Amino acid sequence: MDPVMMKILDSTMVSVCREMGITLMQTSYSTIFNEALDFTCAIANRDGDMVACAEFCPAQIGGMPLMAKSVVKEIPLSDIDEGDVILHNDPYRGGLHTPEHTFFKPIFIAGEIHGFAVSIGHIAEVGGMVPGGFCGEATEIFHEGLRIPPVKIVRQGVHNDDVWRLLLANVRTPRYNYGDLRALISAVDLGERRMQDIYAKYGADLVDQTCGDLMDYSERRMRAEISEIPDGIYGFEDVVEDDGIEDRQYKIAVEVHKTGDDIVADFTGSAKQAKGPINATLGVTLSATYNALLHMTDPSIPKNSGCFRPIRVVAPAGTVVNVDFPAPEVGGNTETHPRIAGTVIGALSDVMPHLAMAAEGCTHGNFVFGGVHADTKEFFACYDIEVVGWGGRSFADGNDACDSINGNCRVTPVEVFEARYPWRVEDWEFDEDSASAGEFRGGVGYTKTLTCLNDEIVISQMTDRHKTEPWGLKGGLPGGKGATLFMRSGSTEWLTASQAYNKTSPSKYSNIAIRKGDRVRLVMPAGGGYGNPEERDGSAVADDVAEGYVSAEAARKTYGR
Amino acid sequence: MRFSGNGLYIEEYVKCANCGVLIYQVDLANAVQVADGGLFCSQWCIDWAQARDKRRGSQTEGP
Repeated sequence: MDPVMMKILDSTMVSVCREMGITLMQTSYSTIFNEALDFTCAIANRDGDMVACAEFCPAQIGGMPLMAKSVVKEIPLSDIDEGDVILHNDPYRGGLHTPEHTFFKPIFIAGEIHGFAVSIGHIAEVGGMVPGGFCGEATEIFHEGLRIPPVKIVRQGVHNDDVWRLLLANVRTPRYNYGDLRALISAVDLGERRMQDIYAKYGADLVDQTCGDLMDYSERRMRAEISEIPDGIYGFEDVVEDDGIEDRQYKIAVEVHKTGDDIVADFTGSAKQAKGPINATLGVTLSATYNALLHMTDPSIPKNSGCFRPIRVVAPAGTVVNVDFPAPEVGGNTETHPRIAGTVIGALSDVMPHLAMAAEGCTHGNFVFGGVHADTKEFFACYDIEVVGWGGRSFADGNDACDSINGNCRVTPVEVFEARYPWRVEDWEFDEDSASAGEFRGGVGYTKTLTCLNDEIVISQMTDRHKTEPWGLKGGLPGGKGATLFMRSGSTEWLTASQAYNKTSPSKYSNIAIRKGDRVRLVMPAGGGYGNPEERDGSAVADDVAEGYVSAEAARKTYGR
Repeated sequence: MRFSGNGLYIEEYVKCANCGVLIYQVDLANAVQVADGGLFCSQWCIDWAQARDKRRGSQTEGP
């Protein structure tokens, strides 16, 4: 092993992945890519192991290796030609959820495959029951859009128009989908070219050997981190508040077994799979477990399949952490992922208190909508990401208004949002007193109010934490809950989806028709607090009051200051 | 995972009885069928499931 060469190659490949992502961002059509950055890019070896990735969306980083493995199992390397591009989004064959479209382009050197350039991104509109792909009341995978097993969308450099026609006939916004899918392909085209340059510069044997060394190095680094944790079995539980179909909670239970330099996260005891779309695929549960452990270990460990080797996941089939066909699953990757990651963090919080975080808001809002734009007469669809307060930690308050642990995405700026979609953003402000108290308080949530400017916009949502609060740690208090409220034009009353539209769940619903002048208010949950509020530094309380995060009355009542 | 004879669709999704990983046709050679019919992807999974069941008793499923 040559550590200098390993560092050079690691940095170079990560830079390639970042450049792939920037290309994707700049060439895409939809705000979910060019504003929210809901994608990631990676390089895999010929066996499907991830050797490098860019630090965009954590859910996709941890989930990518399983997808790559499924591709090479379904399409033998001998059937893959130079210039091919393979597309895959099937949640039941290693995927994360239906919107997550993944492209693989082989990297050929002297007639042989040495790896794959990979781009994975959340396509905003995928067909199915609702515009925007997140049907809060889906009861089958078929309600959630078009499922694509590994297929060649480009063969030897020539686009397969039959596949394109099939894809674009099944979505509401074909022009945008075509632009976004081509952007994902442009990313793997670039990745292939850059990797071929790297192979030409250093030679295939040295690059392949060093990629292997790099994964071994990451494995050793992760094992060294795990070794520091005391051996034992650590348990934790959380719930998803409902599934959009039945008004009951779904338990996520984990036992983290730490022995030597290995970890097994066993989710046996979690709830059976739900009728509604909160179910996670195995890829999601793997990704969420990796995500939690990456958050609690040295961030300088190179992110590749090597650092996942010491971590085993047991996710029983037919449960909310490993859904069986054909149940719906779109919310598993957004809402259940942070619950799973949170349970792993919670389980280790007693033995790694300095690296643990109280619960964050654990939702991306997943506010989706579509309709025919009055100005352009064109169908529009949007997957809108909203963000949350993060949990307090042993050394700092939780981050305010930050995307949930698996997203690392941005909120679309108001100016872009209003220019692209027929809404007016009336207000958008931090919620005073939403942050939970603690020695280190949770991050604050916020409220955003939208007014419909179109004759009609059809909205759906798949969110959570409207009924259950984000938990605190070590005596910290729970964070503020979220809400979605509706006020019809001419009314002065804010109502939940259950009250206004007779929906089972206030947080998961589908196809509500909003008329011109109607308003929708999104309240995003705050993070849980860490540590006893009485221990909070007085100057920090004063700062919070001065900043408007905490009211003077709450400061007196909660902190006695 | 069992594909149709023509390879165009999936007839059965086969998962490990412990860890839940999909067992593709090419992985069947390494999989282990136990007496009660359960299929495990590896001996590690059989051992893990047995140890867990012994530790937990009969409580292996959530609500």
